[in-house]
Amino acid sequence: MAFLIRTIDHTAAGREIVRERMVESGSLTIGRAAENDIHLPDLAVEQHHVRIVPAPDGGLRIEAVGTLGFGLDGRSVDAANIDPREGGELALGSSILAITQGDDGVVGITIRQLETGEGEGDVLRSFALASTLPGKRALSWAFVGAILAAFLAVPIVTHLTRERIDPDAARAGQVALDSSWSTGRLSLAHHGLEDNCEACHVDAFVSVRGSTCLTCHQDLGEHTTAPRLADGRAPLGIGDAVQWSVAGLFGKEGPGACTTCHTEHEGPTRMEPASQKFCADCHAALDTRLTDTALGNASDFGKAHPQFRPAIFTRLQQTAPVRISLGDKPREVNGLKFPHDLHLDPQGGAARMAIRLGGGGYGSPLACKDCHTPNPDGIGFAPIDMEEDCESCHSLVYDKVGSTFRTLRHGDVRQAQADLIAMDRAPRRPVVTGRTRPGQFARGGRYYSNFGPPVSSFVGVNRALEPGGVCSECHLPTTRNGLADVMPVNLPDRFLIHGGFSHAAHRQEKCSSCHKAETSETSTDLLLPDLKSCRECHLGEDAVKAEVPSSCAMCHSYHVPGGSAAQGHPVMRRGSVPTVNRMGK
Amino acid sequence: MASLPENDTDFHAARRASDHESFLVHRRMRWAKVAGALCLSAFLGYFLIDQQPRPNGGSWYGYTLGTIGLGLIVWLSLLGVRKRNMSEGRWSLKAWTSAHVYLGLSLIVIGTLHTGFQLGWNVHTLAWALMMLVIVSGLYGVAVYVLLPGQLSANRKETTRAQMIAALAAIDRQLKHAAQPLGREQSDLVIAALEQDVFGGGAWARLTGRYPNCATRRALCGLPDDFRTMADNTGPEERVRVLLRRRDAQLGQIRRHLRLKALLEVWLFVHIPATIALLAALFAHVTSVFYYW
Repeated sequence: MAFLIRTIDHTAAGREIVRERMVESGSLTIGRAAENDIHLPDLAVEQHHVRIVPAPDGGLRIEAVGTLGFGLDGRSVDAANIDPREGGELALGSSILAITQGDDGVVGITIRQLETGEGEGDVLRSFALASTLPGKRALSWAFVGAILAAFLAVPIVTHLTRERIDPDAARAGQVALDSSWSTGRLSLAHHGLEDNCEACHVDAFVSVRGSTCLTCHQDLGEHTTAPRLADGRAPLGIGDAVQWSVAGLFGKEGPGACTTCHTEHEGPTRMEPASQKFCADCHAALDTRLTDTALGNASDFGKAHPQFRPAIFTRLQQTAPVRISLGDKPREVNGLKFPHDLHLDPQGGAARMAIRLGGGGYGSPLACKDCHTPNPDGIGFAPIDMEEDCESCHSLVYDKVGSTFRTLRHGDVRQAQADLIAMDRAPRRPVVTGRTRPGQFARGGRYYSNFGPPVSSFVGVNRALEPGGVCSECHLPTTRNGLADVMPVNLPDRFLIHGGFSHAAHRQEKCSSCHKAETSETSTDLLLPDLKSCRECHLGEDAVKAEVPSSCAMCHSYHVPGGSAAQGHPVMRRGSVPTVNRMGK
Repeated sequence: MASLPENDTDFHAARRASDHESFLVHRRMRWAKVAGALCLSAFLGYFLIDQQPRPNGGSWYGYTLGTIGLGLIVWLSLLGVRKRNMSEGRWSLKAWTSAHVYLGLSLIVIGTLHTGFQLGWNVHTLAWALMMLVIVSGLYGVAVYVLLPGQLSANRKETTRAQMIAALAAIDRQLKHAAQPLGREQSDLVIAALEQDVFGGGAWARLTGRYPNCATRRALCGLPDDFRTMADNTGPEERVRVLLRRRDAQLGQIRRHLRLKALLEVWLFVHIPATIALLAALFAHVTSVFYYW
């Protein structure tokens, strides 16, 4: 077998020197020893390293003679068969032996030195993904820079350099990019300030101050004076004390601040009123701290709430109503005679009369609404108006002229008396019918005189104001300054003056559910429902099984403690809330 | 010679089982239990406290969760510092890594409960989103560290990376020689194949293992098997073809290695920058809360 050995060396200048020689032999040996066919002066090569012999399949078998393997096509092996026509590359030490076979069948072996120092380290580093991506450090710094600039530097700089003005919902905020700081949408009431953070967050690192709230809400009522508030407040529990001490460290104003109850950024809802606990903190045992208070302790409507104390008149001619607990079974003295049972009895005379009256809202037995008209706000009722509410039955007519009825002026005794006396001067029926008197003596003439018989008045002038007279049907006759008169009627505008009770909120109830009018025989009955009656539906905030779990704020206002709930307060919106119809119950 | 891959992985699995304890099961999953207890108590607190009007990062419980979360995040990010200092025992790096993984997972619960499920387009939610990104990328990292090393060593078949490159270089040298008799067009194809950088193609090619512009593949197409030469396959074209096929196979192994390695490493390119971005976002989050206090 013939081998063409081609050795390629380089001169110092880099020029290639190629030496060729033919070896005719059955096998080819390679090693460091000089007797090898190919002698490689390299200490990494064994004395007798590799032998190449023809393989039975026409190829070449390369095998290691000693224990050390060799490199073949980049892999370390001990023996291998190759097809010289496809070629192969032997690596021994620093030499590379390329095996080829030409068309003439001669196996060519080209020997050259491996160029060392090709930067293997760099190649291995290329295996890492880092070689194709921007560095983690660069990415990190880029993110840090972008985040700190957009979400910190810009808002802070624009906040510090802004023009200081009073909060103005009509103006957009001056601070840039601070919407990225918002933790949630504002309540509906504050919606106009959505893009105006600095309206409330005035100073950096200073919590929202109550004084800032008051720049808009300057007319807000005080619950009571600050010292009295402080005295009335119960000592904090351990948990609350810890919380407030921590909050104090961070500069929060304290338990009495606006923001304690009115939390913001809770979404576009109405601001919820304070919880029952907030009121109970002070009012549960208020008498122990404010010994002079007139208020009863209250902590839960279902469990601890004083009996109602309506403002009523208890004596005739009383100048102002007095508040008396319903528990004392007070009698109301309003100067009026009015038996509700008589009017509401479906079989009684009043019912018959109403049925007979027919149109104009009547036609059936009397109901509460026939006399009591709700106010437009739905909260209370308009005062009873005699002409509107009573006169359909209790007529004030005292005379008829043609088709027109003349009525007494209700409410003005002197005027009514004058009307009755003057009625005498009205034209009378002629004595003789069918004949008129002549000339100036005729009706309309200068000498006409009223010679007819006196007409019997519908109302007796003298008896009207006496006991048993027409006025005394409802009123108490009396004498004032020597003249006949009636007792003035005293009815309070509102009975529960410190509660935000609204009739509209209870419109699904019947009147009689709360007011026992059908069985009331006298007007001194106070037809107000008591605490127990209200508790049939209303229990405390936590009473989940109650029909209406009720917090303090359902009836009471914090900022107007002596009055009913403020406009826009949840209790005032109840009229617009659809309620379940329970009339049939 | 190279053993079968199954035997190889079996061997490594056996070795791992005998003397290696993964950081995932370190100390019978002590840190998994700690993290689980932390999550459970966070949940209990969240559902037992009736925060009105709605749960909020600004309630006392919200601040508590936020403070715990912030502390955890800062500590977890210190793994990058810690891993550069070797020590053993109670605070060995393995214990630290185990704690890093499980406490990091517990942040899903703590961080999310801190938000009170109020998310929006603001810096606060940015911090939460970055935190979740870091956790998810970390989860991916743990998963690939469990799944891929076996495939990686199976693909290597007992060759080192240097040997893969050396083998490619050997094939290239032969190609250069074998291609000498080829004409211009075919020579250009071989030159293009030889000149193309093994590590080129970019991150996407590495991650997917798809190299649509592979010059070796194109050269193979440019030197089609001609049925008329089948009787005589000793021509220079056939030799080049054989070498190109061998080059293609070698490239395939290297590229599989690159792909597995890229899949193993890519999460760090999310995890680390997102962590640093998270620290910045947290700083902005906390500062903005107190700035608009």
